[in-house]
Amino acid sequence: MKNYLTKPLLFVLLATVLLIVAACSSNEDTGNSEDVDQGASEVEDDEKVLTIANATDIESFDIHNNNNTISEAVLINVFDYLIKNDPDGNKVPGLATDWDNIDETSWRLTLRDDVVFHNGDAFTAKDVKFTLERVAQDSALSQYYLYQEIDEVIIEDDYNVTIVTKNPDPIFINRLSRMGSGMLPADYIEENGFDHFLEEPIGTGPYQFSSWTRDDRVELVKNEDYYEGEVEWDAVVFRTIPEASTRVSELLVGGVDIIANVPVADMDRVAGEEGRSIITAPTRRVLQTILRHTDGYVTSDPIVREAIDLAIDKQAIVDSIAGGAGVLTRTSVTPGNFGADPSLYQQSVYDPEEAKRLLEEAGYTSEDLEISFSSAAQYGEYAEVIAAMLTEVGFTVNLDILEATAFYEQFNAKNFEEMFMIGIGNSLNDAANNYGRYLAEQAEDETDYDNPEVEELLQSALVNMDPEDRESQYQQVQQIFAEERPSIYLFQMEGIYGVNDRLDYSPREDEMFIVEEISLD
Amino acid sequence: MTRYLFKSILQIVPVLFIISMLVFVLVRATGDPVALMLPESATEQDRIEMTEALGLNEPLYVQYGIFISNAIRGDFGISYHYGQQALPLVLERLPASIELAVVSMVISTLIAIPLGILSALKRNSYLDLIISGISVLGKAMPNFWVGIMLILFFSVMLGMFPVSGRGGLENMVLPAFTLGVGLAAQMTRMIRSTMLEILNQDYIRTARSKGIIEAIVVGKHAFRNGLISVVTIMSLQFTSLISGTLITETVFAWPGLGQLLVAAVNNKDMAIIQAAVLIIALLVIVINILTDVVYRLLDPRIKYN
Repeated sequence: MKNYLTKPLLFVLLATVLLIVAACSSNEDTGNSEDVDQGASEVEDDEKVLTIANATDIESFDIHNNNNTISEAVLINVFDYLIKNDPDGNKVPGLATDWDNIDETSWRLTLRDDVVFHNGDAFTAKDVKFTLERVAQDSALSQYYLYQEIDEVIIEDDYNVTIVTKNPDPIFINRLSRMGSGMLPADYIEENGFDHFLEEPIGTGPYQFSSWTRDDRVELVKNEDYYEGEVEWDAVVFRTIPEASTRVSELLVGGVDIIANVPVADMDRVAGEEGRSIITAPTRRVLQTILRHTDGYVTSDPIVREAIDLAIDKQAIVDSIAGGAGVLTRTSVTPGNFGADPSLYQQSVYDPEEAKRLLEEAGYTSEDLEISFSSAAQYGEYAEVIAAMLTEVGFTVNLDILEATAFYEQFNAKNFEEMFMIGIGNSLNDAANNYGRYLAEQAEDETDYDNPEVEELLQSALVNMDPEDRESQYQQVQQIFAEERPSIYLFQMEGIYGVNDRLDYSPREDEMFIVEEISLD
Repeated sequence: MTRYLFKSILQIVPVLFIISMLVFVLVRATGDPVALMLPESATEQDRIEMTEALGLNEPLYVQYGIFISNAIRGDFGISYHYGQQALPLVLERLPASIELAVVSMVISTLIAIPLGILSALKRNSYLDLIISGISVLGKAMPNFWVGIMLILFFSVMLGMFPVSGRGGLENMVLPAFTLGVGLAAQMTRMIRSTMLEILNQDYIRTARSKGIIEAIVVGKHAFRNGLISVVTIMSLQFTSLISGTLITETVFAWPGLGQLLVAAVNNKDMAIIQAAVLIIALLVIVINILTDVVYRLLDPRIKYN
């Protein structure tokens, strides 16, 4: 009996020991026993390495075919823009030192003459023409819709270009200071083909491509020839860690230096750890509910819309669900974006008694006040609380929480009924981006919002080349929106970051990780 | 046997053809990728232009014709999301998935075989009760939770293993254990019941009465005959591991096939979904054929016609 019992037991024991020995010895083999502390990066121990963890990966190194903030936050370190945004959102020289609006549809840009790509090729006007005309002409690219206004790029000489737009475009400079204007190497791509470029991308930025393992990590190393001199870090690793609690654990063990999107439930866990901090910072994203004005919907009555606004306690939502990371607002054009109306920022209305009174006075019974309310699953908790608040003042809410994919399909098909909730960002830093869907043609079958005065203001602002006048047009629109409520703004969302205290780091409002602005404390 | 193999390999072609048709139609029936590729502020015109640029305005049979004639030549089209050929994107994920699958299979086998046999031999003893209890627990604990607990204990508290990511063998220990624990639980119960059945057979009694030592009775006479069911469950588990173990991959930021496939479904990245499903189907068929071969080796009485 003993004989056959001991053998298998020994077997298990042996196997376990072997496994542990194997695991430990491989630690030694790589000569990198600090892996546990440094993240499993392939960089040398004495190098100055910054590691940042995001929830999702970049889509590719094609800056014209990425469509999310996280991608841009990585790629901005490899590809320089013609014009840059400083941390306050001001336009400052990038690869272009000077820009002039020579007539309504033409812009003259002077380029830096001391810039080289990561392969040593000089950056010239040819690259500007190649880059901008590519994104302006290929409608299969996801950035195309933001650049199709560009008609032509004329090379004046190696370091001067004139860019011609199809129509007067007051936000043209904003287009030049975002992802689509990251400069691509024309000669390199023409010689080697675009597929080769995607395998071994080069730009002019402070960091150059080293390796990319999809859904794992992007590794960048310093550009020794950067035109603004010595850069801060030897290497930067952008890790993709989809699970939030794993990101938090990596921050706690020192595997990464910065993590984005800390879950509210984990904020205390990070803040309680010595040497780690939570930093919150406003983003350009505003959480809002959008209401249907179509005849036959109860939300077409301004009194009902006002009652909905009054019934929602936005501060309570920020405090209880968002972990305090939100700023109340009655406009979606937050400060730092062109056209913002500061009088509507940090404002909110909440008075459930008044909401009840308004509905009662207008003669509504509970049968009349049935509304459908759709939300994507990521905002599910907010939607449930809002539904409960609306029920309190007499609404019957049919809450419909959808998976993100299903939600965006419905959103694009304009299938929502009385009300839906969405967080909308502003990739152009300009009010024009906030109001596209309220132009009469776009609003059809969605909000059906129709106010001739607003339409005129918005249409005129789209081509108005006088900044002051244009700003006042957008401010008027915001005041009318606050009154008529085609949408009800809940709050400006803040980013929640977990940070290793060894860094001197302030998150940017545009959510970019500009590595050159992050240094050791 | 050779005839059987030859026939099985020939059957792969029509099976893959039918699967390709199914996945092609289903992917298109579940939604429009263009809706997800453009941001909130894009207009109807932008959407129409992109649909045309991607060729999605063509009739379905035309799209399928183009797809299948290219696929035969190994061209599964360009991934919308990554802007690159789909097949290499799928193939580059396979090593990570296979690596994790093999190691967790090894771990689960090492745990399950001794425990399952012990449990059967010591039927209704305290040991049996404990092993059964642990395997019920192992099966009941969700991978998601086990993974996070292993990270908290072994990485955050003890600092023994990296938290996440793919790298050396040390990166594999926690995710492989997370998967291995659940698999071992299932396999232990399977081995126990198979062994119990076999140990009650007449030929085992005969062997014992002949005075053969117990270790040989159990190891050679009983377990060898029980191996068929072990191989069955191993091949089933292996195919599901290859196609990706999304939850474990997500928790440990492991860049395997599961993450790619789920992201592709969410992004409606048709080229990736089609390529991945066909590759997985091919692997499942091959593993099934290999399993049949192993059956035959284990039990020469099995004949295939």
